[in-house]
Amino acid sequence: MKQRVAVIVPAYNEEYTIGGVVRNIKALGEGYHAIVINDNSNDQTSLIARQEGAVVIDLACNLGIGGAVQTGFRYAAANEYNACVQVDGDGQHPTDEIPYLFKTLVEEKCDLVIGSRFIVKTDYDISCMRKIGIQIISLFLRLSTGMSIKDPTSGFRAINMKAIGLFAKEYPQDFPEPESLIFAHKYRFKVKEVSIEMKNRMHGTSSITSIKAGYYMIKVLLAMFIALFKKL
Amino acid sequence: MLRMQIFVGLISLAFFLLTFEFIRKRILREEYAILWLFTSLFIAILSLWPQMVPLISKITGFYYITALLLIVTVFLIAMLMHFSIVISRIKDTNKELTQRYGLLELRVREMEQNMSG
Repeated sequence: MKQRVAVIVPAYNEEYTIGGVVRNIKALGEGYHAIVINDNSNDQTSLIARQEGAVVIDLACNLGIGGAVQTGFRYAAANEYNACVQVDGDGQHPTDEIPYLFKTLVEEKCDLVIGSRFIVKTDYDISCMRKIGIQIISLFLRLSTGMSIKDPTSGFRAINMKAIGLFAKEYPQDFPEPESLIFAHKYRFKVKEVSIEMKNRMHGTSSITSIKAGYYMIKVLLAMFIALFKKL
Repeated sequence: MLRMQIFVGLISLAFFLLTFEFIRKRILREEYAILWLFTSLFIAILSLWPQMVPLISKITGFYYITALLLIVTVFLIAMLMHFSIVISRIKDTNKELTQRYGLLELRVREMEQNMSG
């Protein structure tokens, strides 16, 4: 059976980087399809992605990262894809590692594979504050679920058909990456983390600034705590 | 006592007119307005028939204004909770609709391309 992988790219005002991301995905070969979810951008994101040959889903309202990614899962579920790989639209994730994530997903029979920044020391530069934050989230995840994930905030991940179906129905909205790992634990997914070399952001700034970092942490941990008790 | 009655009466009247105006201008849906119309009606009764307050005190056993304040506060908190639930539900349906609309738009676009191409 021919493998079809939906590469889901949530994008909000990424006109400078989206073209390159789509081109890189197309360069991966026939089985990989670029699905761009334009989260109601005010710029040329949608047009550029379409010109580069991506399948573009335009959202009429800004839903945030969770709602956007979930739209991609729904598309993948409806169009019978074998797997989804989620990639940021800002060009930060190395698209040439997508086949590696997919290969790990298939060969190790995982439900979810996370491309992580920390397993082996790479030259990715990350701020100290953020590192501590990620470690706290990681610790919380270990204590509450027993999962050992070094970078639970990584949005570079691959999921299989079973996970696509479940996430298409129910997916966290505000801080989907760490919270979805709690979902994964409750669904008893097989999760694996692999090391990926990350590039620095080329354009724009991270959606999390240092001032908001503390507030973000509290909200993420609270969302994760509640997710432990959520009815799925 | 009379001055206070007039004052409370004016409040309830203003409240009623405001609610009515909001429904008329379609800012407020009737289903939520009913709650506010009843609230203004309650205040109106209170102003027209101030003896109701000691009567309520006798029935409930709340003789102090602080106790009455507590009831009002609980009522308001319950209403705020109700609205948070309503907003959450609306956000969920909004998300669902936005996603479906986006997917449907894509399908229409693809069908149009297939037909013309």
